[in-house]
Amino acid sequence: MSQQPLVDQKFLEKLERLAIRWQKSFPGLVGGRNPSRFSGPGMEFLDHRHFHYGDDLRAVNWRAYLRFEKLFLKIFRIEPHAPVRLLLDASASMATGSRVKFDYARKLAAALAYIGLVRLDTIVLVPFREGLEPAFRCAGGRYRFAPVVEFLSELKSGGRTNYLETVRQFVSRYPDRGLVIILSDFLDDGDCQRALQYLADFGHELLLLHIWAEEDRQPPWVGRLELVDAETGSSLELDVDAEARRRYTAAFDEHAEALRRLAFANRGRYVGLSTALEIEEAIFGSLRQGGNLE
Amino acid sequence: MSLANLSLAQLLALVGGGSALLVALYLLDRARQRRVVATLRFWVAAQRPPETRHRRRIQQWRSLLLQLLALVLLALAIAELSCGPAGPAARDHVLILDTSAWMAARSARGNLMEQARELARAWVRGLPSRDRVMVLRADALATPATVFEADRSVIARAISQSQPSATALRLRHALEFAARSRSLSGGSPGELIFVGAGRVSEEEASGAWPLPAGLRTVLLNQPLENCGLRRIGLVRSTTEPARWEVVVSVRNYGLRQQRRLLRLTFGGAPVGETEVWLAPAQEQQYRFSFRSRAAGWLEARLWGNDALQADDHAVLEVPELHLIHVLAYTAEPELWRPLFSSNPWVRAEYRPPGAFDPRAPADVVILDGFRPPEPPAAHTVWIDPPVKGAPVEIRGRLTRAKLTRWRTDHALGAGIRAHDLELEQANILVPSPGDVVIAEASAQPVILARDGPRKLVVLGFHPQRSSMRYEVTAPLLFANMLRWMAPEPFRRWEAHAQSAGTFSADLGDEPAELRVITEDGRLVPFTRSRGQLRLFSANAHLIRVLAPGSELVFSLSLPQIAEAQWEPPPGVRRGVPARAFPTRPTMALWPWLALAGGACILAEWLAYGPFQRARVDGRWAGSSWRLAARRAAAFVKERLS
Repeated sequence: MSQQPLVDQKFLEKLERLAIRWQKSFPGLVGGRNPSRFSGPGMEFLDHRHFHYGDDLRAVNWRAYLRFEKLFLKIFRIEPHAPVRLLLDASASMATGSRVKFDYARKLAAALAYIGLVRLDTIVLVPFREGLEPAFRCAGGRYRFAPVVEFLSELKSGGRTNYLETVRQFVSRYPDRGLVIILSDFLDDGDCQRALQYLADFGHELLLLHIWAEEDRQPPWVGRLELVDAETGSSLELDVDAEARRRYTAAFDEHAEALRRLAFANRGRYVGLSTALEIEEAIFGSLRQGGNLE
Repeated sequence: MSLANLSLAQLLALVGGGSALLVALYLLDRARQRRVVATLRFWVAAQRPPETRHRRRIQQWRSLLLQLLALVLLALAIAELSCGPAGPAARDHVLILDTSAWMAARSARGNLMEQARELARAWVRGLPSRDRVMVLRADALATPATVFEADRSVIARAISQSQPSATALRLRHALEFAARSRSLSGGSPGELIFVGAGRVSEEEASGAWPLPAGLRTVLLNQPLENCGLRRIGLVRSTTEPARWEVVVSVRNYGLRQQRRLLRLTFGGAPVGETEVWLAPAQEQQYRFSFRSRAAGWLEARLWGNDALQADDHAVLEVPELHLIHVLAYTAEPELWRPLFSSNPWVRAEYRPPGAFDPRAPADVVILDGFRPPEPPAAHTVWIDPPVKGAPVEIRGRLTRAKLTRWRTDHALGAGIRAHDLELEQANILVPSPGDVVIAEASAQPVILARDGPRKLVVLGFHPQRSSMRYEVTAPLLFANMLRWMAPEPFRRWEAHAQSAGTFSADLGDEPAELRVITEDGRLVPFTRSRGQLRLFSANAHLIRVLAPGSELVFSLSLPQIAEAQWEPPPGVRRGVPARAFPTRPTMALWPWLALAGGACILAEWLAYGPFQRARVDGRWAGSSWRLAARRAAAFVKERLS
């Protein structure tokens, strides 16, 4: 059976109008689109300060000098290039569900990478399971998109998720802060919220894309079930009725709400996406309306 | 509504038992479903201790309902639910259709077989739709064409495909078979109906034999005039090899005197003709003879119109005449000519010894008193061979010796009793191992025979120069030699054209070895008793009876016509009855019920089966029914691999 392409050409053409947006101010080289609180060689005036030896004479405010006979230096708001990193969950739990979450996450990652490439951003695709997997760095425009698709297509899901180890490796591998987009179902045996908090504390801006299948949130089964964890293989035998399903959904929603609170508390963003939602609808609906894309 | 195959109690038992089994299996199968989930962490909050009573609870009642519905539909299909008037209880009838050879006869109303088919169809049309009918084709054998069948199309096809055979009707045997089949059918006994001409043997027609109950006859006993060949015999003349003796038997089956012309042709040329005058029921033999050395077809034809054409014509194959070619190398052919010219089976050729050719074509080579440079390729008779170069050792020479002993149990000495023949000169031969001493003179071997691929006879004297020349012993001895060396022309060969069925043949001497085969080499079973061979053949084909000294060919190409007309005794119902039951055909629902049951099983499988479970587990994304068939095929492929 032939494999379908991750994204088709018509969809890519629609994506060209979009750009990835972040809220935090990051230091970096000029050339970005999002304003930063850091000063630098920008166009928008920010402030004055006293001239110090070695400053660029071209930034001296000569009108102020004629008036006050003191050298003041004009400083400008920088619009830097911030690094964008896409953390893609490739654990076994992403391969469950009627519409496989891993495929959905790969398509979403491809779309976001294309948006970044079109705006000449530098995107780093980092799959993770129990730790970080070999990353793929893409930059240089839309014509570099084919290797991205190839990289994503060759990815296989499997293994267990370990957020703490993943974050530990991430902060040591990528010391410069930037936007971290995490595409995951955020299901692990440990406490993923603690790991995410560490990541936010390190200075990264978090964009949590919480992906779930419909039966992850509202399981359709009733009766006597033997449930097997896709990652650990451990099983649980229980009777499922309407009340149990209601409690399950409540627990899931509570988990999603905790993730949303964590993101907002750290000036990040959270978007919950069901795999029942089409990718195009997710991009132009949930993500764009939430201010994550412009 | 009615059930054709099961009673209501049987249907309820089948559905009840099946349902109980289905529910039990359902509860066992659906007791616990195994699901692979992304995480168990949220299930812990929803967890309750398992309740064993859930094992007894129907969890997917639609699935169970579909399965039970499928079971009921399939059980009704097995029971052959039909829609239409019920009528009386179904009965099992046997339709005995006369397919004897006489059914090929034509009357003023057309072919008898066609009339019988039409009457049989009319009788079947008058039957209640639930009644079952077995079609039995009756000739010398009783052959069922169908089982007890309610499907009228199958019965109609069997009737249409019934054709006249080559044998006569054995009505008693057919009725017994039909009655036994009806009693073993298990249903309510119906009628035994015989449709046909009812032409039987005189023994059956005159004998009082018990008739089965419920017999109905539809006889086509129209008076028909027919005169036909009964048997043709073709035998080679014993005195003249090229002459054939033909005996033709003709019988008048009609009720009026018949005048016909009987003509024999061989290879298209007329070889005999006679006018035939036959009184009613008279059978007459006519003899002909003709000469032919060549092979060909002998055709006997009875000219004139009558009811049955099939017995007016017969063909027999005539083999080529084969004479024994004797090649004698002798310096004195005048001595040998009287010996061989008296035998009509021998074609003798004389050559001087100087013209000896070892590869000259011949059946038997005679070497008269000389030694050839190399032995000939054919069977050889050495006459008084020289001491040097003889095929056997010569120990000495006798003078005025008397032939005292003959080996009469050997083919060469058969029939020779002469003990007073005196030989002027004779060589004493020394037999090698395997050689047979045929004659002795003064207790010394003078004639030896050696068997093998090239048979050999050595005479230690010249028979035509001794006193044997004037005795019958000389031609008898040489006749024995030729029969032993080239037995083929001496074989008895007869050809007979006659009818199929049971027949017997006279074998003459009781042969030690006998084979009966068809023209394609298949063995035919037979019995033999006191020189008589008896066998049966239901089909018109060629049968060869092969014995060491004879070959009989039976061409069973003539139809077997029975002589008498059977008349049913009073009390037997006759004719096709008027239609007694509503004829609106019932509509068979079982194919649709079977299809609906299959559809239920398919729907249940697609909705709740392993395919659907796999889909819910996430192995197949999407829920569109458009792709159901493709996914089902993929699932089957996955299972098979």
